[in-house]
Amino acid sequence: MSASAPQSAQTATDLASATTRTRDLLILAAAVIVALIALYAVFMDNGHIISATGSYLHEFSHDGRHLFGAPCH
Amino acid sequence: MSNPTLTLLGRGTAAGGVAGLVTGLFSLLLAEPVMDRAIELEEARSAKEEAAEHAHAAAGAVAEHHEELFTRGQQHFGLVVTAIIAGIALGALFAVAYALIHRRTGYLVRAWPRALACCAAAFVAVALLPGLRYPAAPPGVGDANTVGERQQLWLAAVVIGILGMLLAWQLYVRLAGRAEPLRQGAVFLTGAATLAVLFLLPGNPDEVPVPATLLWDFRVLSLGSQVLLWAVFAAVFGGLGLRAAAKAGVNSPVSSQDLAATAPVK
Repeated sequence: MSASAPQSAQTATDLASATTRTRDLLILAAAVIVALIALYAVFMDNGHIISATGSYLHEFSHDGRHLFGAPCH
Repeated sequence: MSNPTLTLLGRGTAAGGVAGLVTGLFSLLLAEPVMDRAIELEEARSAKEEAAEHAHAAAGAVAEHHEELFTRGQQHFGLVVTAIIAGIALGALFAVAYALIHRRTGYLVRAWPRALACCAAAFVAVALLPGLRYPAAPPGVGDANTVGERQQLWLAAVVIGILGMLLAWQLYVRLAGRAEPLRQGAVFLTGAATLAVLFLLPGNPDEVPVPATLLWDFRVLSLGSQVLLWAVFAAVFGGLGLRAAAKAGVNSPVSSQDLAATAPVK
């Protein structure tokens, strides 16, 4: 994180350099991973995430699962 | 912070949170009474079955009592929390798809019509098409032994729905310059073909032992909640996009028209 500071002539869209594109892709990939974990937790988990204590996530999100059409027991 | 990708993600998650909250409150008011009734009916049904079993079987039969982890009141609250989490997560995924689809033109061009078109496609892909193949089932329906199989089918339906909408978008783009009825007809036919493909998947194996009126009410409310989720999401995401475009001074001919046609978002 050093390099030269962006100069005035460059607008945000002009900054499509390799570094910014890589950084943007990393941000997007991280967002996808976090979002998919969250969706798995509320719509797919059957007691695997907090397995020692029972299907807490499943039961807490129970009504939401039914409403959004996610399969439920 | 002026990273356009980060601010786009911010708009997606903010719009998703608002849409999830609105949907959660809507379904708390309208869908929860139906779900509570479905659970009462389920309890009455299982009590009857248990009584019948006791009448037949010898005294050794163990009455299996269903231990509940949460009260119904807590599950009502859980519905709102679930809707907000799902809204934020879907909003983030939507923003990523939006970024990839519009990477060449920038994220702020024609912010409003693009938000509406992409949200309509997202609704059809992840809610309408999978929902038509595997309609939502009220509480009390759903065999614990088939839940893994049903989850695979549901995921497959969502993936096929997304692929169908991506194909429709690609056809629309590649038919650029052709007559609009042809382009839009291709999009419609792709959606219809995707629905037909979904019906090649095996059906839901579970019985649905609930009254038809309750089932209808629940399914209408389920679909209605998802329409509401994506409609609110589209409005907030599009509105935030318009505001960001105005601030950034993005003025393509089309987007300035859209700005003039829409009430100022302040």
